[in-house]
Amino acid sequence: MRSLKRTAKRQGRGVVKKHHRANNVDAGLSRRDFVRAATAAAAFTIVPRYVLGGAGHVPPSEKLNIAGIGIGGRGAGDLHEVSSENIVALCDVDQRYAAGAFKAYPNAKKYRDFRRMLDKEDKNIDAVVIATPDHTHAVITMKAIKMGKHVYCEKPLAHSIYEIRKVTEAAREAGVATQLGNQGQASESNRLVCEFIWNDAIGPVREVHSWSNRPISPRGIDRPRETPPVPEWLDWDLWLGPSPQRPYHPCYLPFSWRGWWDFGTGVLGDIGCHQFAPIFRALKLGYPTYVDACSSGVNSETAPLASMVRYEFPSRYDFPELELTWYDGGLMPARPKELKEGLRFGNADDNLFVGDKGKMLGHRLLPESRSQEYGKPPRVLARSPGHHKEWLDACKGGPPAGSNFDVSGPMTEVILLGNIALHMGQKLYEKGLKLYYDGPNMKVTNLPEANEYIRSEYRDGWNL
Amino acid sequence: MKNRKKPDDEQNKKMSRRDFMGAAAAATAFTIVPRSVLGGRGNIAPSEKVNIAGIGVGGQGGGDIRALSSQNIVALCDVDWRHAGGTFKRHPNAKKYKDFRIMLDEEDKNIDAVIVATPDHVHAVASMAAIKRGKHVYCEKPLTHSVYEARMIAKAAREHKVATQMGNQGQAGEERRLMSEYIWAGAIGQVREVHVWTDRPLQGINGVYWPQGVDRPKETPPVREGLDWDLWLGPAPERPYHPAYAPFKWRGWWDFGTGALGDIGCHSIDPIWRALKLKCPVSVEASCTLVNNETYPVASMVTYHFGARGDMAPVKMTWYDGGLRPPRPDELEEGQQFGTNGTLFVGDKGKMFGYTILPESLRKDFGKPPKVLPRSPGHHQEWIDACKGGKPAGSNFDHAGPLAEAVLLGNVALRPEIKEKLTNKSLLWDGPGFKFTNMPEANKYLHTEYREGWSL
Repeated sequence: MRSLKRTAKRQGRGVVKKHHRANNVDAGLSRRDFVRAATAAAAFTIVPRYVLGGAGHVPPSEKLNIAGIGIGGRGAGDLHEVSSENIVALCDVDQRYAAGAFKAYPNAKKYRDFRRMLDKEDKNIDAVVIATPDHTHAVITMKAIKMGKHVYCEKPLAHSIYEIRKVTEAAREAGVATQLGNQGQASESNRLVCEFIWNDAIGPVREVHSWSNRPISPRGIDRPRETPPVPEWLDWDLWLGPSPQRPYHPCYLPFSWRGWWDFGTGVLGDIGCHQFAPIFRALKLGYPTYVDACSSGVNSETAPLASMVRYEFPSRYDFPELELTWYDGGLMPARPKELKEGLRFGNADDNLFVGDKGKMLGHRLLPESRSQEYGKPPRVLARSPGHHKEWLDACKGGPPAGSNFDVSGPMTEVILLGNIALHMGQKLYEKGLKLYYDGPNMKVTNLPEANEYIRSEYRDGWNL
Repeated sequence: MKNRKKPDDEQNKKMSRRDFMGAAAAATAFTIVPRSVLGGRGNIAPSEKVNIAGIGVGGQGGGDIRALSSQNIVALCDVDWRHAGGTFKRHPNAKKYKDFRIMLDEEDKNIDAVIVATPDHVHAVASMAAIKRGKHVYCEKPLTHSVYEARMIAKAAREHKVATQMGNQGQAGEERRLMSEYIWAGAIGQVREVHVWTDRPLQGINGVYWPQGVDRPKETPPVREGLDWDLWLGPAPERPYHPAYAPFKWRGWWDFGTGALGDIGCHSIDPIWRALKLKCPVSVEASCTLVNNETYPVASMVTYHFGARGDMAPVKMTWYDGGLRPPRPDELEEGQQFGTNGTLFVGDKGKMFGYTILPESLRKDFGKPPKVLPRSPGHHQEWIDACKGGKPAGSNFDHAGPLAEAVLLGNVALRPEIKEKLTNKSLLWDGPGFKFTNMPEANKYLHTEYREGWSL
């Protein structure tokens, strides 16, 4: 439905619009064509994003043509956030889960297979919003990037470290505007965390604790034996995408795939991307030196009920070495003694920064008296127009979004490294090891079998 | 139930040694007489054998009896005669009972001492019944099921001057003494942080010794042959029999067991308790996986704070179970296991993992600490010696009671009702006053409610 609507909207846009569908040999370059050309050029020369930005993107006065892939649940929420733009196509393998979004955007073309949608709608799509289960993030994102589409992808960026690395590189090369779905990064709170720490409010930070007790998706269980029929509203083979074949079961979807290793990335992959964003930003973290993990028991099927992952980061810039500990499944660090009785130290999710001169819970200095006495740190970071808006602005030539893949890719790699440590937990214990990691080369250096988890194996017919 | 002879009745009779002990106990109830004074005279002569009765004689109870088989095993009591079969067979001359109350009544004259190795929920009632009769008591860890019971049992044992020992046999080991001696010699400086962990209830990667984090079974299978279910329940609330409880898997259930913490805490916190001269904690808090009112959580962490003791600094002790562990110390060399169970002391000058000083350079520089603690003749032997007038056993209830109290306080913090409220505070504990000072509703969990017909 390369729509009349779109054509109508573009009226009055002048030359570019008029020749939009024309071959770029005999017509003016369309902006999309320009992006391609620029991408090709940029593949071999390093051109800063901002140079490309203004020219290659949709002008601010125009609306983007957006396609949604994985549009139930969180995907529907994301589409709603970008519904100021044109939602031109929708894709989901689960017709029942997608029904709400289909209804909300009756003019959008409907697809089941994102490959088909991107091929058929190539000319009509500027950008895609991806909110499928984790195991299909990378294949979809990569195809979209290769077609020069801007990408908003839900967290975690991908299902394996290798996928993240490749997607991040591809996005950089293609010069597309990207944003990961960790919307908390756009908050005032995240900026305050940075500004307090950069203003030395708690001194050098050597220890951070980060935790989440959500979501309560099934974990610590085995694969079901029953093989109920695939419901008519679901394309199970497409749902599996690149993952190994297995029979359909309602325990996987919707949403509950998060706990299954073949599809999800556990609580760490899900919520870690939110929780770690201010930590990575404030403390300018890169790759860790090593990671260690323990849990309530890992099996090859599902993530543990409860886990703790510890990362050691080397000193960087002016920051000393840092130990970052992740807790999930209801676990959390001990209550800091500076936190007055009656003040909440909840297990839902939070970050506790331990500095040489003080502590900070979220962006609140402890104790309360210290917080009051200190006031607010100097404002050095620009505030966000909103997480989705950042991306829309970037698509239209504005500055890169706060969680663009150059920022969120490396962070998500570190998060997924934690899952590798969880997989390896028993081996680490038996062998008396921590997992030493060579970030730039994506390699665990002291336990070769851990490297099998760096990359997910794809089924025949799927590739990145 | 027979009354014990009163001291004044005894003046006209030739006193049996057992009668003498009763007299000594009564006399000392109101005056403080050191055990050593009583020892040699009041107790069983070293040349004699102790007449022992076992209460709960399958499983660990069978092991305890084996360890004490140099003595006379005169009576055996178990509510599950199938589970007790092996021990019964090994001691064909011992009289067999199902109800410890009947056994203690009928065998009063024949018994010097009892071994209690029932499930946790029966420890206190069985131990108390024995103590009140002046019997020496060896009770498996944890000493009791509730904090209150631990307090009362220790008090009663003190008053009755019986020889006691809790079943945390590791306390008798050489390495435990080294741990204290290293700390006391200042090998790692002031200790402000200790970590202690077990992988239980996990058994290996995916197995479990007993399930936690599960709900009460709905099926009501017939009670298995040989088991007196009502007696097995003892003071615990009535519920239908299910193999999910007996034998052994009772450990995971709030009504019967004390979880991984109760099972292993008394073993592994013991050396910390000694080395750091801990008294009752000042606060306790916990976090864990989803927990219900039936079973302990799958995995938990409990943090205790202890105040300063003499010149020892306040210390924070963190417990981990269900596969959780503290951070592997950087000083531990690659390839060295960190242990499914372990303790890690963090001092100002170094760390101690088990009794290994870290880093290795510090261990080598420091050498061996001065030997200031006497070595043990063995955990069970300590108790036998104490029964015969020797010095108190290493884990006598004056030591084991407060230790068990602290362990069980952690379980109070894990109760669903309490854990929810720990978002706003830590539980502040007034040990001498026996109450939480900032959360009155937690105090009810210091007690186990007994069924009608049972009392301490």
